[in-house]
Amino acid sequence: MTTRPRLATDVNYVNGIAALALFAVLAYVFVTAGLEPPRGFGEGSIVASIGYAMFDLVDLVPEEHGNTEGFLVAFLTIAVVLDAALDGAVMLARRDDEGGSTEAATDGGQPLDEVDDVDDASTGVATDESGAETATAGGDA
Amino acid sequence: MAIVTEYYLLLSAAVFCIGLYGILTRESALMFLMSVELMLNAANINFVAFAFYWGNLTGQVFSLFTMALAAAEVAVGIGIILVLYRNFDGIDVTEAATMRW
Repeated sequence: MTTRPRLATDVNYVNGIAALALFAVLAYVFVTAGLEPPRGFGEGSIVASIGYAMFDLVDLVPEEHGNTEGFLVAFLTIAVVLDAALDGAVMLARRDDEGGSTEAATDGGQPLDEVDDVDDASTGVATDESGAETATAGGDA
Repeated sequence: MAIVTEYYLLLSAAVFCIGLYGILTRESALMFLMSVELMLNAANINFVAFAFYWGNLTGQVFSLFTMALAAAEVAVGIGIILVLYRNFDGIDVTEAATMRW
């Protein structure tokens, strides 16, 4: 049997009505807000201005791109947050009973006892073979 | 001729409501993560649209930070989903109803 994604038909349609109602309210508010035409950015590289704003070089941002603030502190904060998130993800994903092993887990996160069963079966065959060898050796003697 | 801001806002509201519907309906934790991502990106559309509306780049820069925050959130979320799968043999969020098990 293939496991292609299928359209979920067992969903709760009341939630859909709630989401649609929220969309209707939001759309009504947006359409009746009476917004002016957008001012736009004019000439000049927007990407360069974004880079200047991100590193507190707001003097280099041209006048058409508005009074952009400096974002250096936010940039550094986000860098720390990303680092912490990486550490947190690794801490959560590491198995507790593995003892800091660095081998790649290729079993898809299966429960450990099933993996152990496979290992025992393979090692069991190996001991049987060695046992047979010792038995034949004893027979020769 | 620039696109009027209302269309951006309507798109943003539609994306937000799709994400909200996903959160209200789905039981898979991965679908939850995707729905939260949709809602965050709806906010990003608003940031960029209003940056263009006011002719000020602050909204665009802030939307970049929102994307970085979403990446951090997904990293932690997938770690939590891994733990969920190990402890419950599945990623159904309705099964993990207690703080301890």
